[in-house]
Amino acid sequence: MKKTSVIILSLVLAIGAFTLAAFAETYKVASDTTWPPFEWADAEGNLLGFDLDVMRCIAMLQGFQIEISSYDWDIIFDDVGSGRMDIGASGATIKPERELKVDFSAPYWTSDQAILVRTVPDPENPGQFLPEINIVEALAGGYRIGAQLETTGAGWIEDQVIAKGFDASLNEYTLYPLAVLDLINGNVDAVIQDEPASVASATAEDAIMVAGVIKTNENFGFFVAEGDPKGLLALIDDGVEQLKDLGVYDNLIAAYMGTDLVKVEEAWRASIGLLESGDIVGFASQLAALANE
Amino acid sequence: MSTIWQSLYLLVAKGLPTTILLTLALLGMGILLGFPIAFLQVYGYRPIRWFCRGYEQVFRGIPALVLILLFHSGLSRSFGILLPPFVSGLIALGLRSSAYQSQIFRGAIQSVSEGQMLAARSVGMSKLQAVWRIVLPQAFRLSIPPWTNEYSSVLKDTSLVSAIGVLELLKQTTLIFTRVQFIHGSRWILVILILAALIYWVLTYFGNAGLGFLENRMRIPGFEVKGQVER
Amino acid sequence: MGPEQKHTLGETVLRVEGVHKTYGDNHVLRGVSLQMRRGETKVIIGPSGTGKSTLLRCINQLTIPDEGHVWLGDREITHPKEDINRARAQIGFVFQSFNLFTHLTALKNVRIAPMKVNGMGKVEATKLAMTELERVGLADKADAYPAELSGGQQQRVSIARALAMSPQLILFDEPTSALDPELIGEVLSVMVSLAKEGMTMLVVSHEMGFARAVADEIIFMEGGGILEQGPPEQLFRNPQHARTGEFLNKITELYGE
Repeated sequence: MKKTSVIILSLVLAIGAFTLAAFAETYKVASDTTWPPFEWADAEGNLLGFDLDVMRCIAMLQGFQIEISSYDWDIIFDDVGSGRMDIGASGATIKPERELKVDFSAPYWTSDQAILVRTVPDPENPGQFLPEINIVEALAGGYRIGAQLETTGAGWIEDQVIAKGFDASLNEYTLYPLAVLDLINGNVDAVIQDEPASVASATAEDAIMVAGVIKTNENFGFFVAEGDPKGLLALIDDGVEQLKDLGVYDNLIAAYMGTDLVKVEEAWRASIGLLESGDIVGFASQLAALANE
Repeated sequence: MSTIWQSLYLLVAKGLPTTILLTLALLGMGILLGFPIAFLQVYGYRPIRWFCRGYEQVFRGIPALVLILLFHSGLSRSFGILLPPFVSGLIALGLRSSAYQSQIFRGAIQSVSEGQMLAARSVGMSKLQAVWRIVLPQAFRLSIPPWTNEYSSVLKDTSLVSAIGVLELLKQTTLIFTRVQFIHGSRWILVILILAALIYWVLTYFGNAGLGFLENRMRIPGFEVKGQVER
Repeated sequence: MGPEQKHTLGETVLRVEGVHKTYGDNHVLRGVSLQMRRGETKVIIGPSGTGKSTLLRCINQLTIPDEGHVWLGDREITHPKEDINRARAQIGFVFQSFNLFTHLTALKNVRIAPMKVNGMGKVEATKLAMTELERVGLADKADAYPAELSGGQQQRVSIARALAMSPQLILFDEPTSALDPELIGEVLSVMVSLAKEGMTMLVVSHEMGFARAVADEIIFMEGGGILEQGPPEQLFRNPQHARTGEFLNKITELYGE
């Protein structure tokens, strides 16, 4: 029964998409596309990622068009808050300070912070690695910690480590990849970042690994201008719920979380046509299937 | 290896056009605004001269990035004026280039020796005729070398608008190396940055070569330029 | 030529009356008056700083005098309503530092004023320019740029430039002072021919050979005013003021005849 209704719903939506596309409103989406697996640019310059595809699916569902722009993290809240951009979809944690500038949707993801450190070869298991320093040392052993500017990770280190008198120093970077580069080069000894990105970085390189996870239970939200003048949050929240009902949400998670980036990119390029023609469900399930092959 | 070609392609196809467009637009804006300001500063009445001098000081004295943010975030936060990022970047850097260029033109005009003006007036030319036919043609030639510097500077300034979300060469570079880092490792960040640097270098080189060619064509045989204008 | 008249002198071309000029504390010109008749050549001499160049520039209004009047023919060119550009077009000026237009060839230097100030057509102006260049002996350098010419050549081109406007008179401000000794001769010989052809010339110079050859009068200035003036031989043999004699002796020693 559920499967039939899903198929019928998809067909209806497909037809609906064609009709609505002609009359759809276009909204500008801002995203700091330097943060796999939530948002990044592939080798052809296509912007993909969990946040972006969720947004695309919601847009298709709710009958509007979106234009995604790559924005710098530092000004993303200012620019969405002022209304220059309509929607922010960038793995943003919901925080009171940010709520002064923007309005958030209902939480759509929960995340923790992770600590990345350099590796040393494991003497007992050749080919395996151990953390150079453990998480306690990283946070209180007099080491230098790197973080991206204005992220919750940076904030956590300031509030929970440095302000509380633990022995550590904080180096801030405009871009997360630069922090990781410095970790590898020895200019910092640890990097704090949301868990999914940290895991993705560690998977790509033997030189670093996750030393531990800090349970901060942060909620990500999409965000819009203060006061939500265009009434987008209702559309977004409703859209997320629908995507969960349709199983699309879970498929997107399966496609993006913990998978190989190159595979996901190929899967995305192979499947995006489905989304464009309105088949949201088909898109998500094919994406998940191909990404996990 | 294919990563390098892929990245190069992306940089050239998606980042370069905006950088070139912005550079040309900024230089154009700089001339259109800068030349009149220089002219007025040399030949205008005192209150106008004072205004021009102020303009020059202000827009040369504020760091480029601060100017950009002022026009982008400052305007929107304080006055609710929302400009598309490309436009705010264009205005901020355009005003800045015009201030530098006005200094170049002013220096060039003032470098033309007073004797030229005296001689022109002595054969009966009006002040306007003397400036137009005798001073400016010489000032133009004197401007070319320092203007070549301005071209290089403006080209590099364009990378600053990546801060406000304009997708030009530098921003494209960061998008690429982020991805490459996650797939191939962090050392690749350096590779991508070097590719971007190469592209900037090529642009600088060909721009300078073009201007050098112009300078040669306009060269007055036997005439040595006495004293250059520093930026 | 000396004291004999070389040709009949004509009507008064230039009249300067009571010209004063002060720079800051320095009262450079203290009420200078003189006049020039058509065909006359006068040479102004005097110690440096005595306002000789300033006087010339006050005549064609490149410097505006504080007091005094200047008439060109019967028009008062110091009158506020007078179009000074028109007046300047009729007064030739040759500078000590030549001041040729560096971005133009010799030919273009000579023809630009006839074309742009007098509205002459290009063909006619070019012919005129070539004639004047021939007159100063530089027709073969028509396409050379000033930087490619020697000092003497540049000065001759600047004389051609002045001649091209068919001026009523030509003012020469130390025309040979900036030249290497070997080059002075070529310029002076052009000036001598001009004088003999009847051009009205007012020359500030130390070149006594030139003065004795063609000047109708030498004007000796000192302290911002004219101390003495008269035909060259009179000043040399029988000056009214001792100072005049001293000065003439000195420059004859230094500069020869």
